[in-house]
Amino acid sequence: MNDGPAIITRALERTIVGQSGVIEALLLGLLCGGHVLLEGPPGLAKTLACRSLADALHGEFKRIQFTPDLLPSDIVGTRIFDQHESVFTIVRGPVFANVVLADEINRAPAKVQSALLEAMQERQVTIGPQTHPLPDPFIVMATMNPLDSEGTYALPIAQMDRFLLKIDVGYPSRGDELAILERFAIGDAPTIAPVATLDAVRDWRSQAHAVHVDDALKRYIVELVVVTREAQHPAIDHGASPRATLAIANLTRAKALLEGRDYSVPDDVRAVAPLALRHRVGFNFRVGSDGGSARVLDELIASVPVP
Amino acid sequence: MARLCRFIVVALIVARMTAPAAAQSLQRLTVTQLTLAADTTTPHIETPFHLIVTAHVREHIAELDNVDLPILAELELQGDEHVLIPRNGGTTYRETITVVAHHSGAIKIAPVTLDAVDARSGKALRYFSNSLTLHVRGLAPMAATVDVWGAIGAFFGWLLRLILILAGVAAALFVVAALVRRRPPPAPVVTLAAPTPVVRDSKAMLREALDALARNPSRAGALRARSIVRRMVGATEAETLADVLRRPLAVDPDLRDLLRALERAGFTHDGDLRVAIAAATAQLERMTR
Repeated sequence: MNDGPAIITRALERTIVGQSGVIEALLLGLLCGGHVLLEGPPGLAKTLACRSLADALHGEFKRIQFTPDLLPSDIVGTRIFDQHESVFTIVRGPVFANVVLADEINRAPAKVQSALLEAMQERQVTIGPQTHPLPDPFIVMATMNPLDSEGTYALPIAQMDRFLLKIDVGYPSRGDELAILERFAIGDAPTIAPVATLDAVRDWRSQAHAVHVDDALKRYIVELVVVTREAQHPAIDHGASPRATLAIANLTRAKALLEGRDYSVPDDVRAVAPLALRHRVGFNFRVGSDGGSARVLDELIASVPVP
Repeated sequence: MARLCRFIVVALIVARMTAPAAAQSLQRLTVTQLTLAADTTTPHIETPFHLIVTAHVREHIAELDNVDLPILAELELQGDEHVLIPRNGGTTYRETITVVAHHSGAIKIAPVTLDAVDARSGKALRYFSNSLTLHVRGLAPMAATVDVWGAIGAFFGWLLRLILILAGVAAALFVVAALVRRRPPPAPVVTLAAPTPVVRDSKAMLREALDALARNPSRAGALRARSIVRRMVGATEAETLADVLRRPLAVDPDLRDLLRALERAGFTHDGDLRVAIAAATAQLERMTR
């Protein structure tokens, strides 16, 4: 049924135009078994991309629209007393799915965010006295809108760290926007038929895990993370944690697999490092706007010699 | 009559201070500023001065309720007026309180408070201004008894202060000049030339890479050969293979294949290393023929 993770890329490209970086990052998250944070203005197909990824798999998809009045039980589930049977029955929340889209995660208060992020970390949920494992694969894709900060609850750095990677979704080029117009001017985006099974995803993940990362590349990864802490850059308050090192290593392996290799090269590390670092480095007000943090991060990454 | 007016002003302010905020319906506001200032922090005894409360809210309002002034026990209130001005897309509230001090010394004035429902969160909040410390001095010079000796003493005091300030400035200038003189001359600016691709010796460099790989057919040898070829195309240490392949000199398909083969030999796993080195060696041999 499938011939490698590239089959998902091809399926997604049928509905998502001009967001190849987003598609690749979603696949990297899937291959690493990590969670993905997408940030971008409205209307850039963030939700559609997540939905399409779920459609491409034989998995269950659930969407949670985060609002200020959401409760933790709305996400993880709750116990309801059955009067006929005189027992408590468990009603599972939408987090019990393979692909969970947490739309506008920063609109819910910290208690709800924590409930989801704990589920993401532990991959299990406790409802009443019982603990329930979440399905495998389990991937959370959370979206945030950077333009409209009224009535939002910013995710703390410690919680951002739970996301394997963060994608900054940008506007498409003129050509891509024209293609969007021609393809989707009439009706909704076409639905995707499943092209991969969950077993295939688990198999790809094992393959990604087995990809070779040379010692020189491991040292390069460590240097990339350490430079964010030791560069004393005026726009950086604190650098990335060792979790970033692990994230870059995992993403490097997945990137190599996507490129059809069973070994990784410096290009893989360079390609995935910004995805793992941009939400883990604490930038301050000196970074400026208009992609200032991306520019600073690129400068730091470029300052580390390639092995 | 003046005594009556003063009594009414004091009574009004005391009534505002003691009114329970909870008993009133709070306004829904986005408060962006609440400050307490005085037109002088060193007022003179028996000389009226002003305390100024300024608040700015984003909403357009006709009245600002629930502004509580601190208890001004050590000052005599002589008047209180306020005005609301539409400004900066909202409303600025400015209250001017005329007071007079009867004793010298320091007076600490507690912050002004404003109770309102925060328009963003919907929560009832109490906003605090800054506090204020005043140092009340003796009688104002015009009101004090001025004698000739006092005036002469004041003049010499002023002169002495001026001389001390000038001496301080001169000393600072001297120190700065000394530091500038002792600083070593700036190092000559060395402009590093961009790595120049060695086009003429490319064959020789390829042979050198082949020798390195043939002498040491291992990962280390492959990395040495990779380094030589990268130098040949003018790559810097900050460039990855993708960067190198974008270089003008790397358009040759054979060279691109060689760079890819060396990248593989440099970073592949041990099971593939022998095959990768063989592929790189074959490509080098082809290109040096």
